[in-house]
Amino acid sequence: MVVLDPAHGGLDSGSRISESTLEKNVTLALAFKLRSLLVARGFAVTMTRDADVPTQPDASGSTLTLDDRAGIANHAHAVACLLLHATAAGTGVHLYKSDLAPAPTLPSVVPWLTAQSAWIDQSSALQQQLANALSRASVPTIISSASVRPEDSLSCPALVVELAPTNSDPDSINNADYQQNVAQAIASSLVFWRNQVQPPQPSHPPSPTHPAPPTARKRTP
Amino acid sequence: MNQRRQRIVFWCMIACILAMAVFLAMQRKRGRERVQALGNTTLLDAPPGNATPITLELANDATGTLTPTTRDVALPDAPNARARTLIDHLIAEYSQPGSAHPLSPTTPVAEVFLLPLPADSPSSRSSRTIFRATDPTTSIPDTSGGELAVVDLRSAFASEHPSGVEVESLTLLSIVKTLHANLPQIEQVRFLVDGQPRETLAGHADLLKAYTASSNAHTETDSDTNP
Repeated sequence: MVVLDPAHGGLDSGSRISESTLEKNVTLALAFKLRSLLVARGFAVTMTRDADVPTQPDASGSTLTLDDRAGIANHAHAVACLLLHATAAGTGVHLYKSDLAPAPTLPSVVPWLTAQSAWIDQSSALQQQLANALSRASVPTIISSASVRPEDSLSCPALVVELAPTNSDPDSINNADYQQNVAQAIASSLVFWRNQVQPPQPSHPPSPTHPAPPTARKRTP
Repeated sequence: MNQRRQRIVFWCMIACILAMAVFLAMQRKRGRERVQALGNTTLLDAPPGNATPITLELANDATGTLTPTTRDVALPDAPNARARTLIDHLIAEYSQPGSAHPLSPTTPVAEVFLLPLPADSPSSRSSRTIFRATDPTTSIPDTSGGELAVVDLRSAFASEHPSGVEVESLTLLSIVKTLHANLPQIEQVRFLVDGQPRETLAGHADLLKAYTASSNAHTETDSDTNP
């Protein structure tokens, strides 16, 4: 399972990349390309929105908040959660992991605002793997860390993938071949990533006197 | 004839009254705009005194880095006013033509509050430390010596700020690092907008968390050369 979160949507247009290009439309276009390529490679894909307006979490008529998006991602138990953004600044792709300090183990009670801290090491590995794949595809790539909502609340290997134009023309971000190239590099990299991802160890391993959780039972001969 | 003159005088007076009303309304509108503009653009007056060297951590959008730069500025004595002046000067640098991190020339900060950090909340432990209830039996709360700066941004600054992960993160980190460089007791910084918590600065950078001065976020690596 892979979660794709095309940022913004509806009234929230995100940044204005050019006079005719809004961030919310670029993120959705990239998400559609990524979804097709991932499904073709055997992944199940969950998107937080597949139209301009975010998917409604229930029938109450409310739109998705950033926390709702994190909730969708966390329930999916995904091998990777990619928050898709777009910017007019720079070129290529910018990959951001959370700037939380890494937690050595998964706490028994996971705080909502720092859930990602247990997954930082996995996110770093995913970041490096995607950066290498994008570089091989001749896409200029910058890796960094930042605090972008709702990345810190995700309990999965998570990255912000920010797409920038290919050159000084901001509208070059809409180039279908360019977006396809980026999506292909990411999708191919995730195929290898699927076999490497390992969830963080729980902070209190189950004692032999207590019943073990289902994941631990699988390891028992 | 008299009636005709009276009628002319009457309508002339009505016209004068209307003209006067329009004139007064326009003057009132202009005065209000002038006061509003003054409130938005007046920088905090520096007290008379010698200019001291300060360090501004200036952001660069092209490289995604912060560069310490020294300027001579007269600072007020009060730490809160000093912190506010530092941020005002920092944003004023970004509004200069040719800035590597261009921002619109608005007054960014309504107020800065400095609060003591609890002793058991080192900034390195978690960037989301929120105040812990102190023991009511102790008269003096135990503090670490460090301070939390609460920066209340103006909504005009947030709404006019360029949108994007990098540009927003650089602005916040630039403010945090500048405050810590000149007022080392400031270990954490939280942001409000018009006195209220807000999720993001302009759609991306998290404004709900406390930023630690020791944060190494945004140390970028270009992986072009590292395939």
